[in-house]
Order: sequence, then structure tokens, then C-alpha cells
Amino acid sequence: MIKRATLVWMALSILSGIGLFNLKYSVSEMEDRLIALQKENHRQMESIHVLKAEWSYLNQPFRINDLGQRKLLLTPVTGSQAIDIKNIPFRPEFAPVYKLHSSVPPAVGHNSSPIITSKRVP
Amino acid sequence: MTGRHPFTPLQGRQKFSVPTEVDLARNRLLIAGGLATVAFILVAFRLLDVSIMPVTQIQKGEKSVSITKHNVSRGDILDRNGHIMATNLNTSSLYANPNLIENKASVATKLSPILNLSVASLTERLESKRTFLWIKRHLTPKQKYAINKLGIPGLNFENEQRRVYPLGSLASHVLGFTNIDNQGLKGIENKFNNTLSNSDRPLTLSIDVRVQNIMREAILNSINKFNAMGGAGLVLDARNGEIISMVSLPDFNPNLPKNMKKMVLFNRATHGVYEMGSTLKIFNTAMALEHKKITMQSGYDATKPIRTSQFIIRDYHAKNRWLSIPEIFIYSSNIGSVKMALDVGRIYQKKFFERLGLLNKPQIELGEVGKPIVPEPWNDIHTMTISYGHGIAISPLQLVAGVAAMVNGGVLYSPTLFKKTGLVIGKRVVSEETSEKIRRLLKLVVSHGTGSLAGAKGYLVGGKTGTAEKVVGRKYKRQALLSSFIAAFPINAPKYLVFVMIDNPKAIKGMGHRPTGGRVAAPIVGEVISRIGPILGVKAINKNDPSIQEQMTMRVLTMKSGEKRLVSF
Repeated sequence: MIKRATLVWMALSILSGIGLFNLKYSVSEMEDRLIALQKENHRQMESIHVLKAEWSYLNQPFRINDLGQRKLLLTPVTGSQAIDIKNIPFRPEFAPVYKLHSSVPPAVGHNSSPIITSKRVP
Repeated sequence: MTGRHPFTPLQGRQKFSVPTEVDLARNRLLIAGGLATVAFILVAFRLLDVSIMPVTQIQKGEKSVSITKHNVSRGDILDRNGHIMATNLNTSSLYANPNLIENKASVATKLSPILNLSVASLTERLESKRTFLWIKRHLTPKQKYAINKLGIPGLNFENEQRRVYPLGSLASHVLGFTNIDNQGLKGIENKFNNTLSNSDRPLTLSIDVRVQNIMREAILNSINKFNAMGGAGLVLDARNGEIISMVSLPDFNPNLPKNMKKMVLFNRATHGVYEMGSTLKIFNTAMALEHKKITMQSGYDATKPIRTSQFIIRDYHAKNRWLSIPEIFIYSSNIGSVKMALDVGRIYQKKFFERLGLLNKPQIELGEVGKPIVPEPWNDIHTMTISYGHGIAISPLQLVAGVAAMVNGGVLYSPTLFKKTGLVIGKRVVSEETSEKIRRLLKLVVSHGTGSLAGAKGYLVGGKTGTAEKVVGRKYKRQALLSSFIAAFPINAPKYLVFVMIDNPKAIKGMGHRPTGGRVAAPIVGEVISRIGPILGVKAINKNDPSIQEQMTMRVLTMKSGEKRLVSF
């Protein structure tokens, strides 16, 4: 006659055995996934590294210069093309259209504040 | 057992008890049960072993769970904007175990077209008795694929890393190169070999590859145009000593380190020392102004050449009259400069040059640095020749660093190839006032003097020409010149210095009989400044702006119809 306690212990040990195996398999599965991910990561990093080197190679200044001149008809920027931001006049908010086409620059100078503050300014 | 001692078991049984069949069965059952228990315990231990113990085994085994880092065996070198100048790429190298290769001749014939190696040399190498033999290092992916496809046993690949310079020969003298085992042999690669090979952290240089390219192209064009021997160029940040560009031509491709001639490896910007000629008049004039004996209103008679016991000192752009200090500078008068230096005296002159770091080897992050050639002892005759840049040989690097101190307000910064962060501490060598005067003088050279071709649209440039006769054998040769130009821009508040030197340019049609610094080097500087200005974020200046006019114009004493008058420049 088997005691009830023995039955309970047997059931528990079987359950813990199953639990242990499940855990073990899930851990080793996760490990496999981790290793696979790491390998993939490593591979990707290596190809990024190669791409970076290639990017640097493709960005050789003389190559860009040559391409820009041949394909885009670009010329090097001159110093006069850059001006200070304070020298750019504000656009008058409600300026009549014809004023934009006239050769006379808007009356707003770089020293004066804009006549009407723009509503679009956040 | 029983055969030899037939009576022993019987005696035992007789002595104790009579065994029954049941006893026998129970004993046997116990033994069997015990064995089964032991077996089950073993199985249980094994179960524990496979389910719990593997964790420790994984950590040391090949199934590593530690975070694997991207493995780079040598750090990258970047320019100031992060552009890769040197990096490592994984490659495969082919090796063989000749003992495992049966038909060596046929293997050699198959490999030969893929590797571009001759059949004879391959066969000879495969005949060796060794067990390890490099066939070829650093294969291309195509070569590796082709060899894999052959499937020859005895051939294997080893993963290696190869140093790659994506920009080719641009900045080759700065970077240097490595040997096949990734050990630095020249330049930064050599000087910082330990730093680069012990960590994969990149080194960030002060070089800007865009500026470097513009400089290299401009000098290369000029070398071809004037059929010159070589050239050098430097762009230096006047405010902290950062080298933005360093060019030395002819140069080399660091990706192909084999069979390089010694000549191309020579860094003219740092290793070469030259008698620079008139660019040293910047130092001479600053020295005289600093000495306080001479003011901008002083002057000297430059009518007659100076005769010494050994030679005669003449003016190339001779005016044959009294010249004020600014005029001596603008017209690059040797006679005036000599008289100025003699008035200051050789002891003060030597001290001044010492303070500018012109008499010692300069500090820079390269191994290829030239030691200046300084007269010993320093006589009056040397004082005379040094005033116009002969009798002392310094490297372009020293000249540029010194001139930077002359124009930036009087502070000398040690030149560097590394990008600086934070405050850089310099050494005061001349006063603010002297520096301000030098800036005005340099501007006059470009607007009214020998450096007029260095003008750049939109930028205020100030500079000084230098035309030195090269020593050929033991004599100065009038035809062999070293033509240079050093400029600062914007000269009202200098940010960058640009130096160009062309070695031995030949005269060409329509450009005068003498390829001087003003004719050869000044136009290059002008071109370079107009192109690098926008890249370096230097704003163009309206030259007619009254505040700039006031900053830059000066009243110069000059001789007009027999009397001294003030003229506004």
C-alpha cells in the first residue's frame, strides 16, 4: 500500500523534472538564438565597416569635385555667396505682390525690427 | 573455487543455518535492486550534469555567450570631420601545406592565372618540404572565390586584416603607411603605432581632406606648369596651431607600399629644411619693431648695394633711393633689411629667432622632422644674410608656425596634427602692437607690392613672397630657385595661414625670365584661399567697408621728388 505522501512526492518530482527539462530546453534555445543574433550582428558590423570604407573611398574630394563639374555643372562656392544671417532682410508679411518683383529692396533693413511680427513664429 | 575447496561452503552451512530457497531469492533480489539503484543514481547525476552543468561549459567552449565585439586590430585614422583616412578591412590570405598537394605542377598552372604569379615560381615554392607556406597575402574576394571553386586539398585561407587608405595619395606624408603585418613605417602610422595597434579607438587628425585636396591639386598643377622638382604646402589655424592641410609633392600611394623610392617619401613640409629667402623678412621686421629702436617712420638708404668681404648684397626690385620701413617690406629690399638687422644687432636677433622656435627641432606628431641648420658661430655676416632669409635653413612648418605668431596678436602655438578641443595655451613672442603692424604690412605686399597675384576675391589677404636661390654644390645658383609665398587671411583678423613653396620652377613664356615667389607661388595661394575660404567658414569681406578700410590703410613715408612725404596706402 503506497502512502498518500509518497504519491505527492512522486508527482512533485515528476513535475519538477518536467519543469527542469522545459527550462533547460528553453535556455539552450535562447542561447542558440543569442549566438545566431551575435553572429548576425558581427556580420552586419563588418559589412557596415566595409561600407564605411567604401563611402570614404567614394567621397574622395577629387572624385566629388569631378562628378559635380561633369554631371551637375556645379562650380566651387565663392566667398561672396555666403553672407551673415543678420544681413538677410525680413520678408514683409503683407507686402503687395508687385513689390516682390520690383528691383527696389524692401524697406526693412537689417537693423530695424520687422514691422509686423509673423504669426507663424512658434 | 568450489572445485579446489569442496568442503568449505558445506562447513559454513553446517555451522550456522540451513539456507532456504526463499533466502536465496531475497538475497539475489537485494543485489539486483542495489545495482538498479546505483544505476538510477548514476542516471540522475548524468541528468543533473546535462541539465545544469552545461552553463559552465558553454562559457569556456566555442558556443560563447559573452558579447563579441567587432574585432578591429588597428584603430582608424579620421580627418577633423570624421572622414576615414585609414582603416582595416578583413581579407583572406592563401597558404598551402605542400605535403598534402600531390600534383604540384598542375596546381601551379591552375593558380597562376588567378594570382598573377608565374607557374615556374609557384611550382618551385610548392616543391618545398615545409608544412606551412604563404602563397599570397590579402587576396581579393574574386580571387578567393576562384580558388575555392578549384577545390584543391592542401590550400587553405587565413583571415587577416589589411590597412586600407581610401583617399589614396592624398595626405600620404601625414598618414605614412604600414607593412604587411600592420606595423606603421612612416608618418602618424609609425609615430603612433602603439596607440593605434593597442586600441580600436580612432585617432582624429586636424587635417580637413577637402582643404588638403584643394591644396594638393593647386600645387600639383603648378609643378606641372613650371616643370618644377616638387613642392610643399601648409594650411595652419592661426588661433591654435592646428594643421588643416599638409602637402608634400611628389607623394606616394600608401596602399602600395612596395618599391617606393626614397625621394617620394621625403616630407618637404616638415623634414626638408630650406633657406627660405624673403619670407624671413617678416621676422626681421617684427624683430626691429619689437626692439623699439625702429618705428614705421624710420627708413634706410637703399641706393647702393652693400659690399662685404665675400659678396655683394643687391636689391632685386631695386628702387635706388631712401626707403621707409614699410617700403623695405613691400618692395622686399635686401639692403634695407640688412641695415635694419645690423641696427638691432646679432645678439638680439639670435634671441628673437630662438624665442620663435626657429633654432631647434620643432615638435610635431611625425617622425620625419628636420633639424634647422643654424650658423655656428653666429657672426655679423650671418646677421646680414639671415635678415633676408639666407644663411639659416628652417622647415616650412617652422616658418608657418612663426608667421602665425606674428599675425595672430603675438602668440606662438606649437603646430599639431591632432584636432584640439578646449583651450590651447601658447607663448607670447611679440606684442599686440607689433603684430598689428605686421598685419598691415603683409596686406600692403598683396595690395601694392610683390604679392599682388595672391589676391582672392572676397577675402582680404596679406602675405609675403620668398624667392631663394638654391645652393647647388657649394654655390648659390641664380637659376635654381625656391619660390614661396606665405599668406594669412582674413588679414584684418587672421584665422588661417596658407603657405606654398615650389622647388626649382623653370621660367615659362610670358611670365618673365625669373619664376619668383610672386609669380609662381602667390597665384597658387590666391587660388587656394578663394576656394578654401567658404569651406572653412570664413566670411567674405566687403573691402570698401569703411571700418575695414580704416583697419587696413596706413600712411607710409616715401620719397617723392627729392623729399619725404606721407602717402596713404
